[in-house]
Amino acid sequence: MNDALLVPAHVNELKRMLANEKRLLPVGNRTKPPLSEHEPSTLISLRSLAGIIEYEPSEFTFTAYAGTPLAELRLALAEKRQYLPFDPMLVEAGATIGGTVAAGLSGPGRYRYGGIRDFLLGVRFMSSDGQLMTAGGKVVKNAAGFDIPKFFVGSMGRFGVLTELTFKVFPKPSATQTLRIVCDSRLQALARLSTSASSRWELDAIDYSFDEQALVLRLAGPPRACALIASEIRNTWGEDVSDLAASDAFWQSVGELSWSSSGQTAVKVPTTPQQLFDLNDSLALDEGIHLHGSAAGNVAWILLDTGEGLSALDRQLQALQMPGLVIRGPCDRPRLGTWKSWEVERTIQAAMDPPRKFPRWMHTAEHLPT
Amino acid sequence: MTALDGLSSIFPSTRLVRDAAFQAAYESDGLTAFRTKPLAVVIPESSEEVIAVVRWCHDKGVPFVARGSGTSLSGGSLPVADGIVIALNRLDKILELNPAERIAVVQPGVVNQHVSTAAAPHGLVYCPDPSSQSICTIGGNVAFNSGGVHCLKYGMTSNHVIGLRAVLANGEVVTLGGRSVESVGPDYTGLFCGSEGLFGIALEVTLRLLPRPEMFHTVLVGYNSLQAAGDAVSAIIDAGLLPGALEIMDALAIEAAEAAVACGYPPGAAAVLIVELEGPRETIECEREQLDEVLAKTHPTAQRAAADEADRLFIWKGRKSAFSAVGRLSPDFLVQDGVVPRKRLGEALVRIEQLSREAGIRVANVFHAGDGNLHPLIMFDGKEAGALVRAEELASKLLRLCIEMGGSITGEHGVGMEKRDFLPEMFDEPTVAMMDRVRHAFDPKLIANPGKMFPGKEAPALSAIGLHPLEKAGVISRE
Repeated sequence: MNDALLVPAHVNELKRMLANEKRLLPVGNRTKPPLSEHEPSTLISLRSLAGIIEYEPSEFTFTAYAGTPLAELRLALAEKRQYLPFDPMLVEAGATIGGTVAAGLSGPGRYRYGGIRDFLLGVRFMSSDGQLMTAGGKVVKNAAGFDIPKFFVGSMGRFGVLTELTFKVFPKPSATQTLRIVCDSRLQALARLSTSASSRWELDAIDYSFDEQALVLRLAGPPRACALIASEIRNTWGEDVSDLAASDAFWQSVGELSWSSSGQTAVKVPTTPQQLFDLNDSLALDEGIHLHGSAAGNVAWILLDTGEGLSALDRQLQALQMPGLVIRGPCDRPRLGTWKSWEVERTIQAAMDPPRKFPRWMHTAEHLPT
Repeated sequence: MTALDGLSSIFPSTRLVRDAAFQAAYESDGLTAFRTKPLAVVIPESSEEVIAVVRWCHDKGVPFVARGSGTSLSGGSLPVADGIVIALNRLDKILELNPAERIAVVQPGVVNQHVSTAAAPHGLVYCPDPSSQSICTIGGNVAFNSGGVHCLKYGMTSNHVIGLRAVLANGEVVTLGGRSVESVGPDYTGLFCGSEGLFGIALEVTLRLLPRPEMFHTVLVGYNSLQAAGDAVSAIIDAGLLPGALEIMDALAIEAAEAAVACGYPPGAAAVLIVELEGPRETIECEREQLDEVLAKTHPTAQRAAADEADRLFIWKGRKSAFSAVGRLSPDFLVQDGVVPRKRLGEALVRIEQLSREAGIRVANVFHAGDGNLHPLIMFDGKEAGALVRAEELASKLLRLCIEMGGSITGEHGVGMEKRDFLPEMFDEPTVAMMDRVRHAFDPKLIANPGKMFPGKEAPALSAIGLHPLEKAGVISRE
């Protein structure tokens, strides 16, 4: 655990801190400790560099400091009937917008319009040698220069210290409705998932709850349209379909990674729909492992009752040749399973961090042949 | 030609072309203002051959330019005189189309529209639709992060590419991203998209497919000023609607389109707005009522909704033909694709008009109004002494205007050869230096598409003028 925590109040202070430290990692509100605390570094928290810098509802864009809590953004956007459609995660836990970009996390809503990578337009960041840089732009369409903002998504603080971020936002649908469709087999679940994702309904979220063996569909749009489409879904799958009571609480439990109260350790595993179900089957004998599928089978969120379950999960992911990332829980081993690694990553890391101040665990993975 | 001798062990003579007449076809792209003859053109037929030629280039330090259909509007596939062109058109296979996962895995030479054609029987569509989509290739789309008319709602090419296999300029073959829309670790796929061919060549691209919208509701609205059309866009956005497309054309563009394809746009309108809603029929039925209410308050001079699919395509025909149509009004033109914040569109158009008047150069305007992406068409006659230079001067002023207004020098065409001198105006010195370091990380010998994106004297080209032959034929357009 890294105890040293520096909290710059402004960019100039950040610059001084960067100059003084030899080994460092930026963090936000430390809601995802495994991403930053597995090896010794001075942590620099951006939590005091917070607040919305500009918000133009009619432009569908805002710019905020990296330490701005997601909760604050959500509130400000809701006042103008707008939102970040990818359902930012860990809002209640206190996550910041900068930390969310660095961790590369998107919630169930990423199914419809894309994930955090698809809504991030521009970044301002300080490189480890203290230079403030601006990449991307503040307009919703821009093709100038390399897409450095996307490269920061999932970078876990290894390329620079994000200070400001510009996002695209969308108008918030006037209503949502959630349906639960119980499935009696893996085959049926996969078929219904595929039908839902390819249908004319244009669903807002498609999740699969392994605990309940049910597909969970969210509709969004004008209330009248939602009601009509929901009725067609009921006709399609009959008695298997029911309205999900307390749907807000359900979606929040997915976003907060809290749908199983005993599962304190949380892992993200990108999947195809088939892999999601394979993974679930392969873990069926392990007690205390709870899977939830999101984004129409494109990601498995896994909660584990104990840290020991991680070893079993790690073995399974290795067997399936898939990578996993520990978001919450033990900090000694954030990367599970099989991560691909390339020579060029080392040269890019050096390009982004010339004085080599950020820890380089991206390059300790097993090097796979092409 | 001894420098190229090693290549003949990779390619038979029919696919290693040094014939001047044949090479002429490759000496320029959609930006006809620049031309360069390469040393040779190679035509690989497999990923292995592409890897072999890139590794050969890396070993020998020979520059290469990857090319699909050559529709770049920023000179992105302009050859370099001491290098080779790698023509990827024969890598044109859709390797996999998986309706259950809603992805397609394609080779770089696959034509954009062919992906949607192949996906159509499954009710799926590949969303990015640059106006050259009937001939431009996915490899080029990836390199230049191509746009289209649906970017506000659906994003650009990079938002639909989830994985790549590529040979990098340093000879390494990498697999970035995968088959899931989610990933862990830095978004290398996102970084590769839009790198303008400076990192390497994509060999296989995994694309995300979406369900084809069930219903479209397309409305053509006439206004007596550009300002009124711009205000209507704001009113639509402020009402909470999210149209798939919001396009505006000014009087000169309308006149040209009308003359070219008799698209039946409202006579005498100073501007037309095309709004297209798309989605399930239940949603569209609610939203069209809302749209009608909004439009009623915007003082349109004319308004009509497409009666059916044929009518919808007829409305779009005017818009899609606007650029080739402007070719009827002027022997030559330049087009820019700068972006301004949407709320400053009106102001930008007034400034463009002012600059156009001062320069004595006619400018027609067609733009993606939803995302502030301008497309001023700067008309000139290349046969007139100094006309090209004056047109370029005006183009430069328009790009600076976009930067000054907090926008971008390019929304979808890329920096390429054309706008490379403006990169340092949009980004400060430390940022450009960082991008240059990233470029060197992928390409230590600077052999991949030199002369593009970064300012400098790399890979100079000859200037020329004139409409692209396909543009004259109305096959492609510069939007």
